Amino acid sequence: MSTTGTTTPRSVATAPRAQEPAGRLRALLRRPAARRLLPLAAAGAVLAPLAHVLWGSEAWPDALSVSLDGPLRSAGDWIVDNRDSHWLFLYFFGYVSAGLIAAVHAVYVVLLALGWAGVTAGAALVAWRAAGVRAGVTALASFAVCGLLDMWVPTMRTLALMVVAVVASVVVGALLGLAAGLSERAFRVLRPVLDTMQALPAFAYLLPVVLVFGIGVAPAVLATVVYAAPPMARLTALGLRSTDRGVLEAVESLGATPRQRLLTARLPMAREQLLLGVNQTIMMALSMAVIASVIGADGLGDRVYQALSTVDVGAALAAGIPIVLLAVVLDRTTSGRTSRAVVPRGGTSARTRTATTWALGLAAIAALALTVPDTWPRSWTVRIARPVNQAKDWLVDHLYTGLPGIGGTADWAAHYTGWIVDPLRDTLQGLPWWAALLLVAALARAIGTWRTTATAVAALAAIGVMGRWTTAMDTLSQVLAAVAATLVLGFAVAVAVARSARTERLLRPVLDVFQTMPQFVYLIPVVALFGVGRAPAAAAAVVYALPAVIRIAGEGLRAVSPGALESSRSLGATGRQQLLQVQFPLARPALLLAVNQAVVLVLSVVIIGALVGGGGLGYEVVFGLARGDLAVGLVAGVSIACLGLMLDRVTQPTKGAHDAR
Amino acid sequence: MTAADTRVADQPPVFSVRNLWKVFGPRAERVPATPELAELSPEALRERTGCTVGVRDVSFDVRPGEVFVVMGLSGSGKSTLVRCLTRLIEPTSGSIAIDGEDVCAMDRNALRELRRRRAAMVFQHFGLLPHRTVLDNVAYGLEIQGVPKLRRRAKAAEMIEKVGLSGMEGRRPAQLSGGQQQRVGLARALAADPEVLLFDEPFSALDPLIRRDMQEEVVRLHRDEGRTMVFITHDLAEALHIGDRIALMRGGRVVQCGTPEEIVGSPADDYVRDFVRDVPREQVITVRRAMRPATLAEARGSSGPTVAAGTTVAEAIDVVARDGSPARVLDDGRCVGIVDFKCLLRVVAGLEGPGRLEKAAA
Repeated sequence: MSTTGTTTPRSVATAPRAQEPAGRLRALLRRPAARRLLPLAAAGAVLAPLAHVLWGSEAWPDALSVSLDGPLRSAGDWIVDNRDSHWLFLYFFGYVSAGLIAAVHAVYVVLLALGWAGVTAGAALVAWRAAGVRAGVTALASFAVCGLLDMWVPTMRTLALMVVAVVASVVVGALLGLAAGLSERAFRVLRPVLDTMQALPAFAYLLPVVLVFGIGVAPAVLATVVYAAPPMARLTALGLRSTDRGVLEAVESLGATPRQRLLTARLPMAREQLLLGVNQTIMMALSMAVIASVIGADGLGDRVYQALSTVDVGAALAAGIPIVLLAVVLDRTTSGRTSRAVVPRGGTSARTRTATTWALGLAAIAALALTVPDTWPRSWTVRIARPVNQAKDWLVDHLYTGLPGIGGTADWAAHYTGWIVDPLRDTLQGLPWWAALLLVAALARAIGTWRTTATAVAALAAIGVMGRWTTAMDTLSQVLAAVAATLVLGFAVAVAVARSARTERLLRPVLDVFQTMPQFVYLIPVVALFGVGRAPAAAAAVVYALPAVIRIAGEGLRAVSPGALESSRSLGATGRQQLLQVQFPLARPALLLAVNQAVVLVLSVVIIGALVGGGGLGYEVVFGLARGDLAVGLVAGVSIACLGLMLDRVTQPTKGAHDAR
Repeated sequence: MTAADTRVADQPPVFSVRNLWKVFGPRAERVPATPELAELSPEALRERTGCTVGVRDVSFDVRPGEVFVVMGLSGSGKSTLVRCLTRLIEPTSGSIAIDGEDVCAMDRNALRELRRRRAAMVFQHFGLLPHRTVLDNVAYGLEIQGVPKLRRRAKAAEMIEKVGLSGMEGRRPAQLSGGQQQRVGLARALAADPEVLLFDEPFSALDPLIRRDMQEEVVRLHRDEGRTMVFITHDLAEALHIGDRIALMRGGRVVQCGTPEEIVGSPADDYVRDFVRDVPREQVITVRRAMRPATLAEARGSSGPTVAAGTTVAEAIDVVARDGSPARVLDDGRCVGIVDFKCLLRVVAGLEGPGRLEKAAA
């Protein structure tokens, strides 16, 4: 960047004015960003007029569209017709489906047989042994609250589905991870797939499984597995691959066989990553198990879904609280182990003690299961739906509008929609299609490689080809507005966090809790505050994406070398100068990653925002599901995947591109 | 050469390495095979073929019971060389034999057996398993071999005691200091009771005081058990201190191979001379090299102090200075020469005559 805006000394000395434009151009060309974009600009200059002449400059031209509705509809019909007769369904999908249903049912029956007392005590015991007394008490209290809210049965249904989905995800993920961890070739094939899968919104996975399995528990479990297995696979592979080379060499020098090497060295040393993988898989599974209510998973998600569709905030909250509690308990229980890994294992006496504790605990659970009635006693429940709805009505009456000076939440929502999102949407929809493609290419090329650029452009073009251009631009406008809000808020808080350790300490537990919650539950409070529409969807997206942005950006800013800061301070830089000239440039990779995460997370919530009136591609998925019109839903689902892919690639800083600087 | 050295020299070598090459890069095998390429300097070779040479045409023998030190600066190929011995790095060409058996021809099982029972290695960065206790780390090699739990634990406990870590069996590597971790690494290598111990810069990561302790430990172990050792180091003082013979490497080649005294007393080229310039010569060179021929009267006489032929000059100075008169050098009770103030001071000043040195080396 040293050459920015300077002219060559000779041109300045001889004829400054005449030489200036040429010198400027040359200096500009010396900037790496300009050099990277130049070929693209040249290509655009040639292709754009051509595209304009051939297909016009409106939204996506019809001539370039392919209608998939017909073929997809007939494929869907074929599947529906043959579901009970074709061998593929009878002997493969049929067994998968039946097996999953049977497994979920079996777990559910066991949970019911244990009764509320047995399950609560069991959860507390497991949490206590795995993560300490506090986790145990949290589990105990959380399950009790689930019962109190009269949500015991739905909680157990969700839990049964979760157990099956998590076991399947961990097994599938671990196997894939093992392959990728041990074989270089498998790693190279799997890695981009897994990375991409993690960037796609949950909604994109629903339709393909519905197409094959219909609506019900089995597709819900499968969608959950597809969504939750990638982190396990990824972390397993990374854990296996990051084993200390020196230790592996030492193990090899002792004459270990490959099997011994895996079992005694690589897997145990990847333990932390594996546990982190299990933790992430569980959290993702919960998130998806709740969303999967739209394809027939019953349980807590279904209660929230039903309540939201009638804007019954009270009922939604009553089902939402158990979801949050379940998330907290599961996270505390499964992430607690990681930190205990360092504690030395005790001798035989300690092991006997552990065994005794478990035996006593299990005996107590069995006793509870046998003596206490199975269902949560009716008289012990608290119905919060009505008071919550009354409170919400009060909110509507007093906060929605007409607050002196600041308006009200409904006014804000209207302003947000009318002043920001609508103009943005109209601009995007009015943008010539080739200009949109060129813009995406330029953005992707500015920080990425040719490959990410090509993927991003192809993904956007695919949306156009499938005929979802206008809808996608609607969704895109919502995403961009919410991402902008997220980044402004997130970076501001991140700067504060990086500045003061106290802020960091205060915020950390809040961020921890917010990061564990499933996307779905964020919809509940925003509906109470802002009603339905695009504004509450955006608010939920911002709240959902903020913790990750704050954390990544904050850590990036704090990781800036103190030496660089000290030296800039010693030169007399002000706080502002330090921030803009030292911290931001040095934390650039972290900030770019934060942008990427913001985009991915915001998109995922904007899509499910369709459930509270957000419209766009998400609405088409919901609409397709509700009407049983799989073609509409499936195309919308694929478009969502393409949009996710495009947004991820546009914001994906690659290592190679960074080194090139 | 002392009597012990001569005895050792007569036995067949433990390791016999001939014309060993290790080249990294695309189609590495053509480099040693093509005389024209084999001659190139490292820079020219990288430019022409994209290959880097780790080990370049190295031959040496490791004799039973000796401490053979391979010494060189970083990048000289010494770590690659020691890894080639058990094929942790696959050599490009040349031959390696252990007790006359061709290592390069071994199949996977034979190689595994070699690594399990005959040659154990100690690493610079210890290579301990972080999730296991000290006891289980030491027993790990035996576990790999399939030794039952009780027996391998008993053996491991014995080794832990031998390296002075008693009472720490239950700790994890992370709870130990660097020196203690390396003792665990040493115990792990000893547990398999191998014929040869290979050390890859074992003490480079330790701070100086602990390093000296560990060197003493190795010297003591060698004195007690007489196990053959191949020791890699970049520290000349360490090499001179514990080595029976030293191979000095530079750019993948062995530039000189000999006893510490030969290396210091008669450097093969300017590089070696430069290398050993700051060595306190009186502590390495023996009176055999410093002495002058005895006159008839001196040889017959029985007055004055005597020193053995293997005594270092530093020790002889002590003797001569205390007594005030020249000392007779005895080999097997026979007087082979005389050291006086002048001879000894010439060594300290670095003035031994070259002609005399060649004779001694021959």
